[in-house]
Amino acid sequence: MEFGKMMSLLGSGFVLTSQVFVITLIGALPLGIVVALCRMSRFKPLAWLARLYISFLRGTPLMLQLMALMFGPYALFKMQVSADWKFWACYIGFILNYAAYFAEIYRSGIQSIPRGQYEAAEVLGYSRGQTFCKIVLPQVVKRIMPAMGNEVITLVKDTSLAFVLGIMEMFAQAKALAASQVSLMPYVLAALIYWACCLIIEFALGRIEKKMDYYHD
Amino acid sequence: MTQENNADAREILVELDHAKKSFGDTEVLKDLSLSVGRGEVLAIIGPSGGGKSTLLRCCTLLETLDAGTLRYGDIEVAHNDADGRAVYADKATLASARRRFGLVFQNFNLFPHYTVMKNLIDAPISVSKMPRAEAEERARRLLARMNLQDKEDMVPCELSGGQQQRVAIARALMQNPDVLFFDEPTSALDPELTKGVLRVIRDLAEEHMTMVIVTHEMKFARDVADHVIFMDGGVIVEEGTAEDVFDRPQHERTRSFLKGSE
Ligand SMILES: Nc1ncnc2c1ncn2[C@@H]1O[C@H](COP(=O)(O)OP(=O)(O)OP(=O)(O)O)[C@@H](O)[C@H]1O
Ligand SMILES: [Mg+2]
Repeated sequence: MEFGKMMSLLGSGFVLTSQVFVITLIGALPLGIVVALCRMSRFKPLAWLARLYISFLRGTPLMLQLMALMFGPYALFKMQVSADWKFWACYIGFILNYAAYFAEIYRSGIQSIPRGQYEAAEVLGYSRGQTFCKIVLPQVVKRIMPAMGNEVITLVKDTSLAFVLGIMEMFAQAKALAASQVSLMPYVLAALIYWACCLIIEFALGRIEKKMDYYHD
Repeated sequence: MTQENNADAREILVELDHAKKSFGDTEVLKDLSLSVGRGEVLAIIGPSGGGKSTLLRCCTLLETLDAGTLRYGDIEVAHNDADGRAVYADKATLASARRRFGLVFQNFNLFPHYTVMKNLIDAPISVSKMPRAEAEERARRLLARMNLQDKEDMVPCELSGGQQQRVAIARALMQNPDVLFFDEPTSALDPELTKGVLRVIRDLAEEHMTMVIVTHEMKFARDVADHVIFMDGGVIVEEGTAEDVFDRPQHERTRSFLKGSE
């Protein structure tokens, strides 16, 4: 098989890979904040529920979670799922899993903001929502950027787990190609593409960190 | 002193009556009362752990009283119920009370991600709906008074501690409060930087700004205050004019404290 053909198959896988990546971030970044806030809630049952959620999702393999979502509906409720359920299972699984990791990062960031910031905001009359959105969150984002960057880079590679659901993302394509061509070349190419993506993300993260470097505290 | 002469006309801006506050088993404020009239400067002095910060934090609604009455002019913030426990007014009332005072912290507590200008104007705009142009104009005037006119686009970390504290004072003045509270405004500063901050507070006193100042700067307290409270163990041990307390202290505890802080 010519190189161009190989690249176009990997490319079609790459589109799915990017989809999983982007959709996971869009879902998990805000969900993580919600989970973190629940985890820190003064309403104890909610806090415990969030703790349990985080503990379970971080404590079991993502691959297993994906498979549970994929086959759970039928196994548990004898529900017939549609052919594209695997995509839903994949997106839901990734979002729920990453939200758990993000939540702990947000929490560490939120708890590192000095109490004086809240008190100054309170005296100035800011509501609790305003205090969080205008005063706390922007400072949290700056503080957690390095840890978030780590997770985002991990996600680039974790997307390859989607292959266990039969989604033909880039890793699945490479595996199929390697088998049919009896060559390791597809793996090498896939590895280079993953790496290139990570380099771009590292660069972007560096730019964002630099942009937030206008102050320190 | 002027307010001695027209004592009948003394307009009370803040009134705290029989305030009690405990943290767990520690009683920090034990039945403490004070009032501040318009244009007065009240200095609160006393040893560490005496409850000065707690008193200020109760007045500024950062802590809630266990018992007692707190009033800002005609606004009743807290009063005692039949069992003698403090009950607070509804949210809207507390919000309107908050507009009557400003608080300056020991550690400034500026918002580090906002420029000096934004630190000043953001609350007036987003909390009190002050028009932006008006807020900016007011901010520039205050910054000029604080001798910081060229600093509006800087962020707090680019300023010295003394400059940061003056920004914090300007921020507290933005909404034209009736009374300004200070909790050891110069304790986090080098002696050299202290001067500028004290100068600004002196200027405010000359303009008859009503202020309550917790301070360890005895000379400053004596110069600037009309009225001085010496507080220890959660009670007011002694109070009076600056001359009364500093020159003719009646209590042994006051005398030994003043001796120790010379
Ligand atoms: N949030 C809190 N929880 C428990 N105890 C507290 C709390 N805040 C203050 N205290 C206690 O209350 C007492 C009075 O503290 P406060 O900070 O009001 O004193 P202070 O007069 O301001 O002292 P300093 O001059 O050191 O600032 C101290 O014994 C302190 O340990
Ligand atoms: Mg104190």
